[in-house]
Parts: sequence; structure tokens; C-alpha cells
Amino acid sequence: MLSYIVRRIAQSALVLFVVGLVAFSMFRFVGDPIDNMLGQERTMEDVERLRAQLGLDQPFPVQYVKFLQEAVQGNFGVSFRQGRPVAEILAERAPATLELALVSAIFAVVLGIALGVFTAIKRDGFAANFIMSASLIGVSLPTFLIGILLIYVFSVELGWLPSFGRGEVVDLGWWNTGLLTASGLKALILPAITLGLYQMTLIMRLVRSEMLEVLRQDYVRFARARGLSDRTINFRHALKNTMVPVITIIGLQLGAIIAFAIITETVFQWPGLGLLFINAIQFVDIPVMAAYLMMISVIFVTINLAVDILYAFIDPRLRVSA
Amino acid sequence: MKRLTTAALMGALAMPVSAEEFKFAVTTDPQTMDPHAVNSAPVLGFLNNVYEGLVRRGKDMTIEPALATSWETIDGGAGWRFKLREGVTFHDGSEFNADDVIFSYQRASDESSDTRSWFAPVSDVVKVDDYTVDVMTTAPNPIFPDSIANWMIMDSGWAEANDAALPDKEAGNYATLNANGTGAFRVTAREPGLRTVLEPFDSWWDEAEHNLTSAELVPIQNPATALAALLSGDVDFINPVPIQDVARLQGNPDVKVIQGIEARVIMLGFDQKEGASETGQGSSDLFKDARVREAVAKAVNVPAILQTIMRGNAEVASQLVSPAMRGYSAANADPYAFDLDGAKALLAEAGAEGAEVSFKCSNNRYLNDESVCQAITAMLTQAGLNVTLDAMPVQNYWPELRADNFDMYLLGWSPGTFDAEHPVRFLASTPNEEKKLGSWNFGGYSNARVDELLPLIQSEIDEPKRQAMLDEVAGILQDEVAYVPLYVQPLVWGARSNVELTQRPDNFFLLRWVTVN
Repeated sequence: MLSYIVRRIAQSALVLFVVGLVAFSMFRFVGDPIDNMLGQERTMEDVERLRAQLGLDQPFPVQYVKFLQEAVQGNFGVSFRQGRPVAEILAERAPATLELALVSAIFAVVLGIALGVFTAIKRDGFAANFIMSASLIGVSLPTFLIGILLIYVFSVELGWLPSFGRGEVVDLGWWNTGLLTASGLKALILPAITLGLYQMTLIMRLVRSEMLEVLRQDYVRFARARGLSDRTINFRHALKNTMVPVITIIGLQLGAIIAFAIITETVFQWPGLGLLFINAIQFVDIPVMAAYLMMISVIFVTINLAVDILYAFIDPRLRVSA
Repeated sequence: MKRLTTAALMGALAMPVSAEEFKFAVTTDPQTMDPHAVNSAPVLGFLNNVYEGLVRRGKDMTIEPALATSWETIDGGAGWRFKLREGVTFHDGSEFNADDVIFSYQRASDESSDTRSWFAPVSDVVKVDDYTVDVMTTAPNPIFPDSIANWMIMDSGWAEANDAALPDKEAGNYATLNANGTGAFRVTAREPGLRTVLEPFDSWWDEAEHNLTSAELVPIQNPATALAALLSGDVDFINPVPIQDVARLQGNPDVKVIQGIEARVIMLGFDQKEGASETGQGSSDLFKDARVREAVAKAVNVPAILQTIMRGNAEVASQLVSPAMRGYSAANADPYAFDLDGAKALLAEAGAEGAEVSFKCSNNRYLNDESVCQAITAMLTQAGLNVTLDAMPVQNYWPELRADNFDMYLLGWSPGTFDAEHPVRFLASTPNEEKKLGSWNFGGYSNARVDELLPLIQSEIDEPKRQAMLDEVAGILQDEVAYVPLYVQPLVWGARSNVELTQRPDNFFLLRWVTVN
């Protein structure tokens, strides 16, 4: 068991190393940060001087090794654009993204399961058919368009909700939250719906088809024959057995929510990590891009590692074969 | 927790939204509050609300007194003497005097500062007394006061006390996040990338024309989001408004569109160096022939481009600067006329029919730049050139131009000094690293007479003589088709209809002229 875990961790470290290497080899194609950093009146001499100063004249493997050496000591360098430590900037931006991801995940899971169960039970009802058709929109429209549409309806036309930003934020010292103020909560609604809509429809459709499958099983028929109430059958027996694959999908989608947040954050000018990353690309802010990509890959690798280890606990066969 | 939420809710309900709390959106957050660290428009434009220079620009771009009350040349052009304003205080209460000017000169002209090229002609800055300063120049410099409108004065005591005596662009310091100027507004909160809050400075030396009680800058990158924020009233001002939305906004009574032309001229440049480009893209030496350049000038129908792509919001350009700039050559005000047959004839004469042209273009630097390049490509194809367009983001574009990978390229130029000498120095001089000339002359255009005239223009005190030389240069550039000026880029701002403001061609949005009714 231990050797399995150790091997898994070693593999994860290798994956991280390769992701970083690929990222660094790509930075050259993102462009040249120098022109953004120097003004119109720069000379070629300034360009060369700054390039040498930032170490950008080095081949990318050298830059990468330098980055790794600093990173293992917890130093992610200084943003080219803001002139502040990258770790500080990431820490400042992370709460916005995590709050948004959390709220939209809750929205997607709760509403997805509820609607999925509803459409499975009232399979032929008008409401269920309507929900199923409407859910096609959630699957097929791009996030960008949904966001703009919501802003247009709820901010511009109705004027109920703010069109951008995070509203009033309360600083707790180690965390800044928008969950404690009215304007913060209002600002959260549209981005959370935009970000969670796809996941919501996905979960809903999955729950529905799994549920329909389960409702056809013999034990449900027997339960019905025993005279159990619909309520007990649907929720105690059928739903429980539906949830196994659904939970796997939810776990996988959590990472996707953070990744998709880039688009939602851009549309709503949501001051999170995704927006920071987009900004960093535009200004070729290599330290920020590098730190963000490494952070995201650490999150994904950690989730997968945890899942793998959990599987090993659940399924002893894996321990042997691996 | 619950009580906090309720309290916040009550607060929001009880407090009527005051009209004077002004919120304005820009696409790019100013990356620093340090006026000497970075020489970029978003930073300088914003900090002009907070810091002041010896001189400032008025609503019509003319130079007017700010921290200096008057100035004059001394010793027949050896330098400039500035009389400083007395009784001015910085936001932290400390007094302004000549020491701050000397300090700000040293700080802004330091190796670590991006603004040091402004002081290239300066040999020394001397304190005469507490309220008199002499700026000595290496040669007579008639436009020196024009060139320092963005040189902002920082308090020496404040900077030294906070360990920010020199700008630190790479690692940042106290002045990166804090500001202490003499301007009409002081920074009360700064959250990089999120918001920056300004409040009027009560002890400002000048009379306030605005009626704001606070102003908040928020960066909104996505143009559609910014537009929605303006329409919903979440912000009072946005810059820019996407060209394609102008007509829609004009039909809305709640908002208004403020249009003008910027100082920026968009033009085509050509590879005029010997031999093929490094990567061998395009034809070698094609554009060394002035006839081919002239053919391009004739083949591009600029009015048609402005009509369709810019929706009539821009003006045709005839030279490297717009008519609003000092030293604009009225004698050379006629742009190249569209003449397709003439273009074809010139190409035939030069034997360049069907020649391969590699055309490089940015796609996120200037308004609708890629669409403009596509239109130009189609027009040149019609004239008989075989043009391959390659459009790319600006962060890839400059390295490509520096590497000489082009036959023809698109460039926009906004003269930092608002003077016609500026583009001659950067775009038309023969590139010379040592003299810092022609640093943006990617195509390597070279004319001995232009090179000869430039230093004379730079040191000519007599206005008519100087203008005559500028006219001569503009004439040469036009005759030789050094560049093909296309149009002056439009400025399109959007505001709520109750906002009164002043738009300046340098695209600086100054809060001291904003009133909310």
C-alpha cells in the first residue's frame, strides 16, 4: 500500500515537472514583455539591458530551472507588470475565485440533482419536458454569451443586479469575502449562475438518466409491490443508487469550474485568479503566468492523487495490480 | 455575522446614492502609482489627477503654469529658468519648494526610471533659490517646457522617509502603491487591478472646477461588460466605447458619446533596407523603390476604410502628426489621393506587378487594426500586388518588427511632446543607436537632408524658422513616401448624460474638469 502511494506521488511530481517545462517552452510564443514594460521612448540599449536583467536572454530550460529553484523556497518572483511579489497577488485574488467556484458548485449540485430527480419522476409532464428542452440551452450556449445575456437582462434592462465586479468586500485579514455584504451577495448571483449553468445541466441530465435506469430495476418494482410509498422508493432507494456515478462526475467537474472561471471572470470583471491570468497573458507577465499554471496543475494533480488513493482503499485489487 | 449583513443592507438603503460619487472605467489599470517608474499612457493619464508638473496642459493642450508660475530662456538658450509657485503643499501637508524639483529631476532621470529619455537634452538642474530653478540644456531647446508636462513632482521628504527615493519598477516600493502629489485629488485607497479611490484635495492651490466628492477608478477589460456597466449606471464613464456601438449609444437618452480625434496617426511603414528580411519573407528590396511606395499610397482608399470600418469616426491624415499638434505642416495638408490606375501604372513602371509582399499587422493595439489591414490587403491586391497579411497580438508584433520580418507594416504614432519634431526623431531619422535616433524606424528609411535638419529643428528658438524646417521635412517625407499616413485614430468616450467633461486629444481623462449635474 505504502509503495503504491509513494509511486503515485512520484508520478505526480513528474507530471508537475513536465507541465512546467511545457509551460515555459510556450512562453516565448506568448510574446515579448519588454515592449510593455518600457515606454515609447525606449532605445534598443534599454531593451537589451532589461532583457538581461530579467534573465529573458537565457534559454528557456535555464529560466525554468531558475524558477523551480526559487519556487521550492516559496518564492514565485515579482510580477513584471505590478512590481509586487506574485505570491502576494495570488493570495489576494484566490478568495474571489474560490468563493465564486464554491457558490456555483453548490448551485449546480443542488439544482442539478433536484431537477434531475423531478424530470425523472414526472417523465411525461409538461414541466419536465420544458425543463429538459430548456436545459439544452445550458449545454449548447457558450459561457461568454450566457454571461452577456444575463448582464443585459438583469443589469441593463431590469437594473436589479450589478453588471460587473464583486461589490463590497469585507477583509478578514487572511481572507477577503463578498459573502457578508448585500452588494457582495448581489454581485455573486449572475457570475455564479453563468459559471455553474453548464455543470448544473450536466448533473441534471446525468441524474435523470441514472434515475430512469434505476427506476426500471427489479428491486424498485418489488418495493412498489411491497406497497412502499413513492417517496420512500424514490428518495430512499432509487436516488441513493443513482448517486454513485454522479459523485464521481461532480468531483471531476470541480476542477473544471475553476478552469472555466477564466471566461466568467473576464465577462463579469470578477477580480479572481482567472482574470489575473488573462491580464498576465496580455502583458506577458511571465512570473504570474508560471505561478498560476503551476498552481492549477498542483490542484488537478492533488485531486487526481486523492482520487487514486481513495480508489486503492476502496478496491484492494488496484493495490496488487499497481 | 447576520447583524453585519443587516447593517450593511440598512446602510445601503439609508444612504442615497450621491451623484458626486463618480465611478469611471478604463480598460487598463494603471500598473503603478509611481509617476517616474513607467512611461505609459494609462499610468501618466491617471496620475495627472494626483501629481502635477511644473507645467500642465490645458483643455486645448496648450502649456499653462502649474507648479511653476512662469518660465523663460536664460543666457541665450543655455537653459530655462522656472519660477516656482509659493504656498503649495503636498497631500501630506509638507511644503513644495525647489528641493522637490531637484529631487524629482534626479529621480525621474535616474537609470531606473522609464521617463529618463525626457531629460536627454538636460545637462543639469540648478537651484537658484527656494522658488527658482534653472534647467540647463546641452543645446538651445525651444520645446523643453512642452516636453515636461508629464514630469511630475514628488516630495523629497516623503520619498526618502518611505524608502522610495528611486523608482523600483521590478520589485516595487512604497511609491508603487501610495501617492503624495500636489494635484487636485489624493489617493485614499489603492487595490491594484480592483479599484483606486480618489478624493478631492482640500488644500489644492488652484480653484476646483469639478464638483466631485469622490472618484473611483475601476478597470473593466471586456468592452461589452464596460458598455453594460455604463448603460446600467454602475459606472458613469467608460473609455473607450467600441466603434460599432457608437450609433446604439447615441440613440439612448441616458448616456452620451464624446467623440474627437486622438494625437495618434496610423500609418504604413516599409522595409527600405538592403537585402531580404532575415527570414526571407516577402520580396527583397521591393520597397526601396519610391515608386512602389507611392503606388501603395495611391492604391489605398483611406476614406472608404474610414467610412466602413471606422463608421465615419476618424480623419484622413496627410503627415506623421495630426493637425492638433504643434509644428503641423499646413503646407503639406493634402493627403495622397486614391488613384487605382495611377497605382497600377507606377507598379508597371517599377516592374513590380504581382510582387510578393509580406504585410505585418497588430490585432489588439489600435482601434480595429486587423480589419483595417484586411481592407488594405484587398485594395493592394486589386492594384496588382500579391499581399500576404499576418496579423498578431502586439506582444508578438514588436519583436517581429525588430527582427525585420516584414515588407510592409502598420504603425500608430502619438507624439509624446505633442510636437511634429517627435516623429521625425523616432520614425524618420536614420537609425542611430548611439544618438538615440530612429529607434522606431523599423524600415530603415534614411534621408540625409532630414538627418541634417533634425538637430537644427531641435535647437531653433525662432518659431517661423523652425516651422519652415518642419515644413521642409514634412515635404520630403511626403515626396519620398517614407510612410503612408492613413488616418488620425478616433477617440470615443462614453458617459452618463448628466456628466460634463473635457476630452483632450492625448486621451487623458482629467477629473478636475468633471461635473455631475
